[in-house]
Amino acid sequence: MPLEALANHGPVVVSSGTELVTRREHIAAQREAHGRLAVAVLPIHYPKEILTALDLLAVELWGPPGAPRGEAAGRLQSYVCALARNALAFLASGGADAVDGVLFPHTCDSIQGLATLAKDFGGWGKTSFTFLHPKGPDRSSARSFVEAEMRSLARELEAFSGHVLEPARLDRAIRLHREIDAHRAALLDGRARLPQGDPELYALLRRGEWLWPEDHLDEIRAARASLRDRPVQRGVPVLVSGYVPEPAAMLEVLDRAGAYVAADDYAAVGRRVVRRADADGPAPGASDDPWARLVDLYFAAPPCSTRSADPAARVRHLEALLDRSGARGVVLHVLKFCEPELFDVPILRRALAAWNVPVLVLEGELEAELSGQAVTRIEAFVEMLS
Amino acid sequence: MSPSLARRARYELAGRVAGPLLVSLEAWQRRLRRRGRPREGPFGPPLESVRKLKELMTLHYFQGRYADGAVPVAWVTSGFPVEILRPLGFHAVYPENHAAMCGVQRIVPGLSDAVEAQGYSRDLCSYARTDLGSVATGRTPAGRLPRPDLLACCTNICQTVLYWYRALADHFRVPLVLVDTPYVYGEAKPHHLAYVRDQLEELVCVAERVSGRRVEPQALVEATRKAKEGTDLWAECLATAKQRPAPWTGIDGFFHMAPIVALRGTEACNAYYRLLRDELRDRVRRGIGGVREEKHRLLWDNLPIWFAVREVSTLLAERGFNFVCTSYTNAWAEAGSRIDPANPIGSAARAYTHIILNQDLPNRLGILRRLAREYAVEGAVLHSDRSCKPYSIGQVDLKERLAAELGIRVLLLEADHGDPRAWAPEQGENRLTAFMESFG
Repeated sequence: MPLEALANHGPVVVSSGTELVTRREHIAAQREAHGRLAVAVLPIHYPKEILTALDLLAVELWGPPGAPRGEAAGRLQSYVCALARNALAFLASGGADAVDGVLFPHTCDSIQGLATLAKDFGGWGKTSFTFLHPKGPDRSSARSFVEAEMRSLARELEAFSGHVLEPARLDRAIRLHREIDAHRAALLDGRARLPQGDPELYALLRRGEWLWPEDHLDEIRAARASLRDRPVQRGVPVLVSGYVPEPAAMLEVLDRAGAYVAADDYAAVGRRVVRRADADGPAPGASDDPWARLVDLYFAAPPCSTRSADPAARVRHLEALLDRSGARGVVLHVLKFCEPELFDVPILRRALAAWNVPVLVLEGELEAELSGQAVTRIEAFVEMLS
Repeated sequence: MSPSLARRARYELAGRVAGPLLVSLEAWQRRLRRRGRPREGPFGPPLESVRKLKELMTLHYFQGRYADGAVPVAWVTSGFPVEILRPLGFHAVYPENHAAMCGVQRIVPGLSDAVEAQGYSRDLCSYARTDLGSVATGRTPAGRLPRPDLLACCTNICQTVLYWYRALADHFRVPLVLVDTPYVYGEAKPHHLAYVRDQLEELVCVAERVSGRRVEPQALVEATRKAKEGTDLWAECLATAKQRPAPWTGIDGFFHMAPIVALRGTEACNAYYRLLRDELRDRVRRGIGGVREEKHRLLWDNLPIWFAVREVSTLLAERGFNFVCTSYTNAWAEAGSRIDPANPIGSAARAYTHIILNQDLPNRLGILRRLAREYAVEGAVLHSDRSCKPYSIGQVDLKERLAAELGIRVLLLEADHGDPRAWAPEQGENRLTAFMESFG
């Protein structure tokens, strides 16, 4: 039962090469073939390289979407974001029993509260970890803190996994994730030249949330090879920003309405792709110390509200995405009660209005299905842009 | 006389002459209005200190009107280590305190409407919406708030303040200093405290630059000593309610906490709490209660419902129920034990990291359990506050644990600390009435 429940989070069946794999099967296969333990990870940002280097499978837990079910469904008030409510219900009902531990990044007040609620008051009885983000600007105190926090997490994960984190292993993991990021960036930046539709592309990108990174690398490298020399997408290009592309039906509605996601600023997707450093190794002048590189990568990631990025930097980032993609409109797909995202909405709307870029603000609660009202609004928005 | 000297003179004049005169005039008018009207209702005789409290806070806000250009002005979050700014002569403004005033006066919906029109969601904290709305419209019950030269924000109460203060920084185009306090699961790790200490050092540099002055070490020690003394005095005031009958109500405490929030680290704050403490102790000696007939003692968790605080407390007091302790007012008494004047920065890092809202739920449960026992309460009302998620997450479990462990009755009451649109009065009263009936 618990294993089945985990498989029901997100797409039940996905393709990996020629095989059909579920999360449950993947976790079991990784354990059986490689002895890898699995760690469920709450959104959003965390040093995945450390987990990979310690041979730990990260399985991200984005809710799951839909109404929270089980006895713990009412333990968080209805005005707390759906992601935290769903995650608590899911963990407490045994939905994630296939994994061996849970990592709670300090994304917001709600996930921070969830970490102590599930661990201390019931809902998660196995090992749990936290990763605290420094809030505020890139400054020396924040850099020192990030490194110390990463090392602290690594020590806990070493004890948990039974592996020693050798610098060489960490270096290899960093290179592996840099290569994955390079391919993801190529797919997102070259979106118009990619023949696949958004539902297919996002299913691929989001499999990176739970596949063993080397397995994900294979399929994402193959997808990159399908990039054409010239644009093949004929729909209306739009930029989508928000928390997580759920319900996934939104992508299908955009597709049916005649639009495609030309630029992505989802916290779950685009904001986790670091473009600056070279995938083959440290950038010129960068340190050979893997810890220093991890810290550098941490601060090189695109601006994200949940890491309290400067809104002005986020505006500049969106401007660059718009320029690069030629998007004609922006969908701000926000999660209800998500304070980090909601505080940025007025600033982004102001900037977009100044650039005469139409914007659609779509608020969701991590529903399993898109509401009829939302479908109509998306269709009308695309029609207006056409 | 240069313009800045003139502004400084006006500021001092407001604080030393015009302000006190205004306060005296207001007090005289109040006395006239009340002459011949006996105090009725379920509460005990009013505290004499209330008059001094009003004087103190009126003077603080009145003088603030003339602070621009006269002295450096900092807008500060309630959990910020403000004593570090005191030696630099900052006039501190507390937007949360100001938002509470707006809540009491029920002007939050209008202020919120103004920022909702800009795209801010009604789901955001009502303190933030109130403050941003006040900035956008210029409407304030304080007459006028001085423009900040510095925004000082500490995440130990929530992360909301960071987003809120960033919006303020964008509006006012002034420096924002952030003291980010890592959340404490169990015990704070050494690198967490080192991080906070580093930021406090950075804060000193920025504040010195903005104020154009240097922090004298001895002055910082003295401000820290005053802050510690203030929190200790506040703790002594609260502790008087352990007696039966409690000499005041927890609701009184919500209003009397204003100086420890807004004037912490000043002699005026400490002098006020000495006065209040002595009066409360005197009431204890004379058996005067905050509620005329105290039958049942309750604990309140979370912020008050500012716009309905009087209605809720009256409804309860009419049946002999008194909130003798609140986790919210207690938060400003807890910090004192960790503040060490001999080590202002290091102890501030530790004290301000270990605020109730920055610690895990077992710690929170421990505080509620201790308060319930020490104040001998028979029940608790947990305010499930739509506007304060850090305080409200976990309350469903806390309710069950308090009831099971202590054998007390616990009510979860959903409302909002500032926005009356999120409060259903009839439903709330029904729930409170049913809760009281359960006591037999």
